[in-house]
Amino acid sequence: MILKFKYSFLITGALFIFCGTLNVQSQINEKELINYAYESTYKPVDSDKTIIINANILTGRGDSVLGGAILMENNKIIAIGKDIDTSGANVIDAQGKWVTPGIIDIHSHMGVYPAPSLRSNSDGNEATSPSTPHVWAEHSVWTQDPQYTLALKGGVTSFHVLVGSANLIGGRGVTLKNVRSRTVQGMKFPNAPYSLKMACGENPKRVYGGRNTEPQTRMGNVAGYRKEWIKAKTYQKRINEYSEKSDEAKEMIDSPTRNIGMETLVGVLEGDILVHMHCYRGEEMAVMLDVAKEFDYKINTFHHAVEAYKIADILAKNSVCAAVWADWWGFKHEAFDMVWENTAIIDQAENKTGCAIVHSDSALGIQRLNQEAAKALAAGQKAGLDLDRQRAIQWITLNPAIALGIGDQVGSIEPGKMADIVIWSDDPFSVYAKAEKVFIDGHLKFDINDPNSFERTDFDLGIIDPEGDRL
Amino acid sequence: MNLIKFRSFIFLGLLSLSIFAKADDILIKNATVVTSSDSGVINETDILIRDGIISSIGPDISSEDALIIEANGRIITPGLLAPATNLGLIEIELEAETRDDRTKHFSAGFSISSAFNPSSTLIPYNRTAGITSAIVFPSSGKGDLFQGLGSVFKTHGRIDTQPIVTDIAMVMQMGGIQDSRASTFLELEDAVMKAKQFKRSRNLILRGGFFDTGEYTERDLEALSDLIDQKKPLIVKTNRASDMLRMIEFSKKHEINIIFHGAKEAWRIADQLAESNIPVIIDPMDNIPSSFDSIGARIDAASLLTDSGVNVLIGIADAHNSFLSRQGAGNAVANGMDRYEAIKALTINIAEAFGLADSLGSIQIGKNADLVLWDGDPLEVSTFSDVVIINGEIMSDMTRSKRLRDRYLEVIGLK
Repeated sequence: MILKFKYSFLITGALFIFCGTLNVQSQINEKELINYAYESTYKPVDSDKTIIINANILTGRGDSVLGGAILMENNKIIAIGKDIDTSGANVIDAQGKWVTPGIIDIHSHMGVYPAPSLRSNSDGNEATSPSTPHVWAEHSVWTQDPQYTLALKGGVTSFHVLVGSANLIGGRGVTLKNVRSRTVQGMKFPNAPYSLKMACGENPKRVYGGRNTEPQTRMGNVAGYRKEWIKAKTYQKRINEYSEKSDEAKEMIDSPTRNIGMETLVGVLEGDILVHMHCYRGEEMAVMLDVAKEFDYKINTFHHAVEAYKIADILAKNSVCAAVWADWWGFKHEAFDMVWENTAIIDQAENKTGCAIVHSDSALGIQRLNQEAAKALAAGQKAGLDLDRQRAIQWITLNPAIALGIGDQVGSIEPGKMADIVIWSDDPFSVYAKAEKVFIDGHLKFDINDPNSFERTDFDLGIIDPEGDRL
Repeated sequence: MNLIKFRSFIFLGLLSLSIFAKADDILIKNATVVTSSDSGVINETDILIRDGIISSIGPDISSEDALIIEANGRIITPGLLAPATNLGLIEIELEAETRDDRTKHFSAGFSISSAFNPSSTLIPYNRTAGITSAIVFPSSGKGDLFQGLGSVFKTHGRIDTQPIVTDIAMVMQMGGIQDSRASTFLELEDAVMKAKQFKRSRNLILRGGFFDTGEYTERDLEALSDLIDQKKPLIVKTNRASDMLRMIEFSKKHEINIIFHGAKEAWRIADQLAESNIPVIIDPMDNIPSSFDSIGARIDAASLLTDSGVNVLIGIADAHNSFLSRQGAGNAVANGMDRYEAIKALTINIAEAFGLADSLGSIQIGKNADLVLWDGDPLEVSTFSDVVIINGEIMSDMTRSKRLRDRYLEVIGLK
């Protein structure tokens, strides 16, 4: 929210400068100019008036509308309900089908670990130092990763691309819309806040401990974060002291040299950049909450969080989300204590105030997040927890949207939100359900019955045989 | 001391006998029996299990002393087979000491049969999800080519678990390494030549003569000889269509039985596979063109292959979640595969490809009573097993994961 406000201020400011009516340049924070330089250029053309009728709608707000309609126009959802005027609209009859908000994956490495997996495009981990807050995932993103299209066919309309987990502080993540573009800026979710990837546990200590450098232990990990936050506090103080000086005083001294890593960390301290932290073990997450308390920042979401169920009450009380798999486990020791009910327990903790998210971290999993949510729902119900589809769809729609700071724009079917909509052939919690039509900002980006409905990546063209496409 | 040991041995023997004797007859009433045989799906049917074997299938079977399971129309399938898994060999992938699927000492003859850990936490976990037999493969051996020999185990988890077939197949990797695949084929040719020489020289060796085994051990060459004698198939892990064609030529030249594993581009040569009667082990969900060898990966491969008459076996590479072959089969159905064929791809197709169909893979009289009773459609992701039976014994449904769940449902205040 803060960021959005600042952007609107910035744009107004820029307009004033352009018009030459008023010099407000000095009011524009240097940091904002930097972010503005990398701003999204994604701007969908106005979409036609379209109405989906006779649909069983899981709204993403926790309820459903059976046999309802959704009206969209000019990239936005206009109305949802039972009796909506269809005049002047393209009508799509979804009789017997289910409709959900576009699926959002909060944990993806598409673009930074694309397919095919090659050394030359393995761009997700700057594993050269345990703290690399200066790197940005978006600067690695390959716009022609064929995995985007596969995810689109699974109903994924937005996804969060993170750097890897080799480092304690890995770098900035970026939220993208699942649209094809020649530039990463053309995929960036407009006005989405930046994120910072941090990592607990085995990965950083394995990568650096293996080189006999710090960190080699979990305590080394924690010492590592604290050192960096102390640096960030110092940097923040210096920048603030400088900016508080009068213009005359500023003329007398050099401005502090920019440190792009520290800018990211200060962004976290000021609440503009959201912390997404890779962390598996229960007690380790609890320690991370203390690190956040010491330096007065917020951990937004723990990712992977195989043991989140062990501290689900603590997570709920601290308003921290946990993004988890339905059933991955055992690939390392910190992932050994998996339970199928993890998602459900996170969700139900503290009188159902928990924030549960089902994520993929996988180009396979992202294609069927609905099935992953279905497994988590079934396990929760089997364990006797009070869960339903209306609630569970939020694990892959509204909850990740909120955790990414875009919950006011996507994640549920509500008037005013972006028209990111999926029509499913069947109950989306069934293995047999397929995304039949996927709309992004009101535009039909995939239609299962029309092979020409979706845009193939450059990679897919002529790669099997010169005349054909890969998919 | 010796006496005590002897006595306890007898005691243990009696104990296990009594466990065995406790394996009562089981009568399953009113089930929807998905047989995985030519009989298809039989509704409202009873199954009688006697001495660990399916002894009768039909309506209105009665038994005086059998334990009765009322299926109430629920679906029963054969126990699922995991066709290519590290189950029992791996506890935690990144902890080398918990892994027995790799060696630096042997290649073709690396038998994993002695390493199987029946007490692995992965076993009850996958069993409760429907896996009753596992064809356990090694992952890597000395050199790039051969990975070793797989064996078959049931998943009852008894401490004295023995393989039901030892060294059932040899595994090799084709492509995807830094060296030329042409070199891989030459190496394979050379290995077969060497094995043929070894066979011819056997008498000489027995008489104490010298035979240069080259880069292989005698154990490796013995295993390769079995291959040439068609005593076991060669599992070829490869994805590129042209590699598979070359391997088919190779298998015909040397009269070796092969099964492809991975086989992401198999659909491109489906007719050749069908014609040569070569089965493929695939993960239907894996449609990622993860390397230049698997550019043709696609989500409807299982359906395309089955429609062309190829024997499809569904298996998941991840040992921990071997049971997700069910989700794979469900996705195959969502993408065009016939539902019954998908069940067969989890059961009888696997048994047949590995020569286990006499005892496993379908619900037929005389076969092992390895059965799963489901609370819904077995291919649906929200379905759980209600009862798992192996060798006619009802298995515990407890897992370490469920113990953790129950503990923390209480800690978090949800129970």
